[in-house]
Amino acid sequence: MRIEISRSGGFAGMTRTWSLEVSPAEAEERWLPLADRAAEAPRGEEARLERDQRDRYVYHIVIGYQEVTLPESRLDEPWKELIERARRGSTG
Amino acid sequence: MHPHPHCSIVPPHLLAHLAAVDDPRHAVAARAARRALVQLDPLLADRAEAFAAPVPPRTAVGRPLERRISDAGGQEILPGTLIRGEGDGATGDEATDEAYDGLGATDALFREVYGRASIDDAGLPLAATVHYGQQYDNAFWDGERMVFGDGDGDVFGRFTRSLTVISHELTHGFTQYSTNLVYEGQPGALNESLSDVFGVLVEQHHLRQTVDQASWLVGEGVFTDQVQGQALRSLAAPGTAYDDDVLGRDPQPATMSDFVITASDNGGVHINSGIPNHAFYLTALHLGGYAWERAGRIWFDAAVGGGIQANSGFRLFADVTQEAARARFGQDSEEYEAVRQAWAKVEVTG
Repeated sequence: MRIEISRSGGFAGMTRTWSLEVSPAEAEERWLPLADRAAEAPRGEEARLERDQRDRYVYHIVIGYQEVTLPESRLDEPWKELIERARRGSTG
Repeated sequence: MHPHPHCSIVPPHLLAHLAAVDDPRHAVAARAARRALVQLDPLLADRAEAFAAPVPPRTAVGRPLERRISDAGGQEILPGTLIRGEGDGATGDEATDEAYDGLGATDALFREVYGRASIDDAGLPLAATVHYGQQYDNAFWDGERMVFGDGDGDVFGRFTRSLTVISHELTHGFTQYSTNLVYEGQPGALNESLSDVFGVLVEQHHLRQTVDQASWLVGEGVFTDQVQGQALRSLAAPGTAYDDDVLGRDPQPATMSDFVITASDNGGVHINSGIPNHAFYLTALHLGGYAWERAGRIWFDAAVGGGIQANSGFRLFADVTQEAARARFGQDSEEYEAVRQAWAKVEVTG
């Protein structure tokens, strides 16, 4: 299954896109459940911290029919691993 | 007291000029002009004094500049370890010393020219973290501090290499404590534009450059040699800062006809900022001289005057800057005319 990652914003305001192929099993076990959980907006203190951030990146990740938009401050380790894999494998 | 001060036969800008004359042969005229200005409007009197003296009367008092530079040591942790506090000597680490000097240059513009004590006008210490993350290719404001990456070495080098990056980030702090424009769509693009405007003004003030001498570029020197481009943004010619085979072209518009509707980048905050950026540039170009003195003063007045709300768009911002120019320099002034024409040229006003 193809995963497309688009990174916009940042100080430069430049959009970069990377993609990678994962097996359907990996997508269903690791990335689709993560995308479901990531769709929930943060609350309280976390939301306030996120609101005051400027010039951070915004990631838009498309996994099959599932799409998720994540501010950089909400990227935890599994997402970072996925983005790193896509960046290593892409030329764009 | 004159009942209609702005109908005075001598235009306020000429009075201001006369009032600022420091020549004994014209002492009487200068004194009369100063008296006339005082009768005109307290703000106009202020202006004459601002022109006559290097430091305006509202210069900030209270807590002096206090900088704190921390080192994240290549990890994504904040704040990191404090490595240079206020008054400490240079460390020899380029990013640390550039951040320290850049915060000083930014504070100098706001404090010495606009009379604001730090970003909150209450002497808040200025905090920055350098060496954030591994090959981290960004610089950002996290609500409390500036954070600088070392760059990936491929597209971006060290972000502290450009003073305008440091001053841009610190101005996000100023905006947080003034208009607090939300970071989305047009208010977000205004938030970005204020950071670019005061970002370049800090550099111009630091280098004592006039409108004609300045580059009007944001982030010059941040790209590596492999990228075809001189900077990230240009206020003089939005859309021309870079044109690279891999990265593509600078997407900034200069006028409302080319306004970009997009969901990415928080609704194009770094893209459509080209429009208010160019309006500022046109105002400064019209007035000439040092951009921070008149164009910058008008934008500063607008930002702290209370007329801009967190959700304000371009049109309201244009009205507030025109009102700020009128209030300080008068309806018949070239400053007011410069601002009015600039917003019309970028098609925000008719």
